[in-house]
Amino acid sequence: MALRNAASFLGKSLAGAAELGFSAAKTAGGEALTNAFVTDGVRHASNQAVKQRIRAIKNIGKITKAMKMVAASKMKNAQVAVEQSRGIVNPFVRLFGDFPAIEGKQNITVAVSSDRGLCGGLNSNIAKYTRALLKMDPTTSETTKLVSIGDKGRSQLMRTNGEMFTHTFSETYKVRVTFAQASLIAEDLLKSNPEAVKILFNKFRSAISFKPTLATILTPETLEKQLTEPSGNRLDAYEIEASHERSDVLRDLAEFQLAATLYNAMLENNCSEHASRMSAMENSTKSAGEMLGKLTLEYNRKRQATITTELIEIIAGASALMDA
Amino acid sequence: MSLQISILTPERPFWNGQADEIILPTETGEMGVLKNHAPIITGLNVGAMLIRGGQASGSKDEWNSYAIMGGFALVKQNQVTILANEAVSAENINPEEAKDAFETAKANLEKAEGVKEKVEANFAYKRAKARYQVVKVLKKI
Repeated sequence: MALRNAASFLGKSLAGAAELGFSAAKTAGGEALTNAFVTDGVRHASNQAVKQRIRAIKNIGKITKAMKMVAASKMKNAQVAVEQSRGIVNPFVRLFGDFPAIEGKQNITVAVSSDRGLCGGLNSNIAKYTRALLKMDPTTSETTKLVSIGDKGRSQLMRTNGEMFTHTFSETYKVRVTFAQASLIAEDLLKSNPEAVKILFNKFRSAISFKPTLATILTPETLEKQLTEPSGNRLDAYEIEASHERSDVLRDLAEFQLAATLYNAMLENNCSEHASRMSAMENSTKSAGEMLGKLTLEYNRKRQATITTELIEIIAGASALMDA
Repeated sequence: MSLQISILTPERPFWNGQADEIILPTETGEMGVLKNHAPIITGLNVGAMLIRGGQASGSKDEWNSYAIMGGFALVKQNQVTILANEAVSAENINPEEAKDAFETAKANLEKAEGVKEKVEANFAYKRAKARYQVVKVLKKI
């Protein structure tokens, strides 16, 4: 009862002020509202908790903003290297042709991914495509070997296709990727005499577009078989002059092609990783900002409600004293 | 200006242009390519490559030289594509530095023991030799 008196008292004294909520307290429905003011603070999370949450989200927002700027600058650097490394891949494709549908008993599939996370859907995309590629020819899927460059791809593919793995390379991007690294990896891959090497990577199209791409490189023996088909052996147009056998020259050429394509693939994936991280962090910062806005509103509302409650109590107490 | 030449390395496209004649350091020796050469694929050793009459040089008989660290050359229909591991232009090589590097590499090669060291020393020697040769050619011609 004292509360109802206090509410009407409050309503009279604050009628002059522009507090819209309290003019409602004078009306009949105002009682429920005042009751709600009193019991609100007890049921919901304390204001301290909300304040802590606000602080945490502000910090996260700062971190994601910084990560975005770092990723943007890294992407700019990587972009230059990527565009320049594309030049050498084309002559090989012109010379040897592209045979993505090649099947063979001894293929190697290389999945290029990143070492660190927080880069959007890049790595799960590659894992998805790799699994689909491996399923595409069921006859060879038992003998196909899997190689992963990058930790994230390895952890994703280890779950489903763990038995197929032969090599994994990690921390390749720690220092700048070099052609020497790529040639070492290429040499290692060719040691097991595969028929074809398929490389899956994210091709950097633009700052917002990175498409999973498949590059196929055939070893000399497969190449000869392939090129004697209908269109005729493209290589026959050339006369191969060398001190060794023709097959040796072709083998060296195929190894060079593998190394150059692998180098290009790693650079493209690296650049795509930075671009993807940039956009993921941008989205994070935006969401953090939105959450921050909502939480700040809630915090302020609660704060005002607490103040109002205290005022009501004081005035109720004072009016009780006055009555007495 | 009858040959269309492009020199490509994995890191970047090194040079694109036209020239009259090009001399390649192949595995079987130096090979010259003129207009209407037969189509050919050949491996290249670490050595000096010479280009005559290119757009970069003033007169038709001027030679430009580049150090090529191994690779391949494809010639077809007056289009020469050179795929090299690494390529350096003669202007970018410091003569004294190249000479010193050459001497050091030669000494190291003689000192080297063990297969790994020998292979490394051999490679470094070939590389230094190529750069030195290229710089010598530039100074002479």
